[in-house]
Amino acid sequence: MEKRAVFVCAGLGMLATVWLLSVPAAGQGGAAPSGTYTPPRNAFGQPDLQGVWQVMNTAAWDIQDHPAQLFPGLPARFAVPAGQGVVEGNEIPYQQWALARKKENFEKRETADPEAQCNMPGVPRITYMPYPFQILQFANRVVILYEYLHVVRQIYTDGSPHPKEFLFDLWMGDSRGRWEGDTLVVDLVGFEPQTWFDRAGNFHSEALHVIERYTRTGSDHMQYEATIEDPKVFTRPWKMSMPLYRRQEANAQLLEFECYAYAWEAADKLLGSAGRSR
Amino acid sequence: MSHRFSEWAGAAAAVAAVAWLASGPAAGQAPQPQTGCPLQEYALFHSCALEKAKTFNPPRTVDGKPDLQGYWRAPGSGTENIEEHPKTSDDAGGASMVVDPPDRKIPYQPWGRQQAQENRDKYVEPNTACFPSGVPRVFHTPTRFETLQTPGYVVLLVERAHVYRIIPTDPRSHVGKDIDLWLGDSRGRWEGNTLVVDVTSQNGKPWFDQRGNFSSRTAHMVERFTLIEADTIHYAVTIEDPNVYTRPWTMVYPMRRLRPFELPEEACHENEYNTDGLIKLGYRIYPGARPPAAR
Repeated sequence: MEKRAVFVCAGLGMLATVWLLSVPAAGQGGAAPSGTYTPPRNAFGQPDLQGVWQVMNTAAWDIQDHPAQLFPGLPARFAVPAGQGVVEGNEIPYQQWALARKKENFEKRETADPEAQCNMPGVPRITYMPYPFQILQFANRVVILYEYLHVVRQIYTDGSPHPKEFLFDLWMGDSRGRWEGDTLVVDLVGFEPQTWFDRAGNFHSEALHVIERYTRTGSDHMQYEATIEDPKVFTRPWKMSMPLYRRQEANAQLLEFECYAYAWEAADKLLGSAGRSR
Repeated sequence: MSHRFSEWAGAAAAVAAVAWLASGPAAGQAPQPQTGCPLQEYALFHSCALEKAKTFNPPRTVDGKPDLQGYWRAPGSGTENIEEHPKTSDDAGGASMVVDPPDRKIPYQPWGRQQAQENRDKYVEPNTACFPSGVPRVFHTPTRFETLQTPGYVVLLVERAHVYRIIPTDPRSHVGKDIDLWLGDSRGRWEGNTLVVDVTSQNGKPWFDQRGNFSSRTAHMVERFTLIEADTIHYAVTIEDPNVYTRPWTMVYPMRRLRPFELPEEACHENEYNTDGLIKLGYRIYPGARPPAAR
């Protein structure tokens, strides 16, 4: 059995979930302009970023401006919703060869996107996937737990540097953080080169360097920025930014999305009644 | 190569890689045992630890709760078989982790043993496919894990397949009965010096071990974590599932403290190819037990 085909099947289910979550919720707004809000502090004196958060945008499909469109291989109800991009200026400064590669990725996105394999999606992509995540803070560490695949990010804020070298590439990179005023700044390197930024084929190399900034802008809002540097792929650094929204449900908690488990179950169904001869 | 062997080989490679990554020479290693309690005979450990717990005064967090934070490892032999099993060419062997009932066996209904054997014969071992280990195997799979505490939560970060458990310790009800989860829905509370965790809403797809020992979607578990000395947690989990067992039963084992290290990213599913081979051989993906009483 072709493993890739199996995972594409599971992708259907995932897109259905995404569609459901993309319906705008009531009660948006209420965020103060950046810079005028003073966030509460936790017991360690840090700006309190804790809680269950999620984006409300279409960056998971395409981080740049995009019209509504069919997604290859999927029926109309799983089509891509239109969206305004999260990239500042909407332009991603690809080197010439890389722009060609991005276009090729887009053509092959149905199967070539590593999300189709249910792999860990990297940073910043996991932030704007349509699943919630929970931020917890400790004296020398910020931990972010993601509903998608039980991904864990440990952001050490104890002043420790990145490892000098990495034994193997990290799907989620190596995160080292610091507090700058009211902002959590996270520096990431050590990335696995396979991940993409979205379902439209935007990509990077193992030279990826990400700087994230998390800044509370209101009681239930946070501004998220990610600066992207990759001298092997882009001609200059570029930035994406978007608000994060606190989940308002009184019973908000992370559940589970074990993408690859559903993929294997789909593979098993394809086997039908044929099992191991005993 | 048996798939159980290949899983062990994979785990060994990961452990070796992890050991290399750890910063200090002793990071991630267990300190010298300080306990007088036997650590490998779980029934003896159980009674000894309960006695020690009566007098041990654990360190406290700032909000006055027993401080269970740190890095831990549980005995790995349970992942072969949580019941007593001999050392063989394929198994390291170990005593039964079941301390109640007194015969130290899982009190299956009559169909249960046969189901466990069928699980083993017919299905891909769920951990081979990197599925989340479930409760309590998430601790004894084997793996290293970290406990973190913050007001309102105990958080468990597990190295194997990077799963985590978020345990709210404020009073709140469980999720609805139609939600099921690989790791269940956990609600915690403090009873004296013990963290008591009530687990419902499991999906019944993880196994307790490579033998195919199992529970079902209707399982209800109560876990008890008690620090009995600086570097040892007494862990007990009572499992009831009226569709599968004849009575509630209890597993016990020690969790031993490891020296601090940075828990690395353990990408398990990514580039995992064993499952595909097993499916080609005809092994199926385990759909969860279907107890006669629930059919």
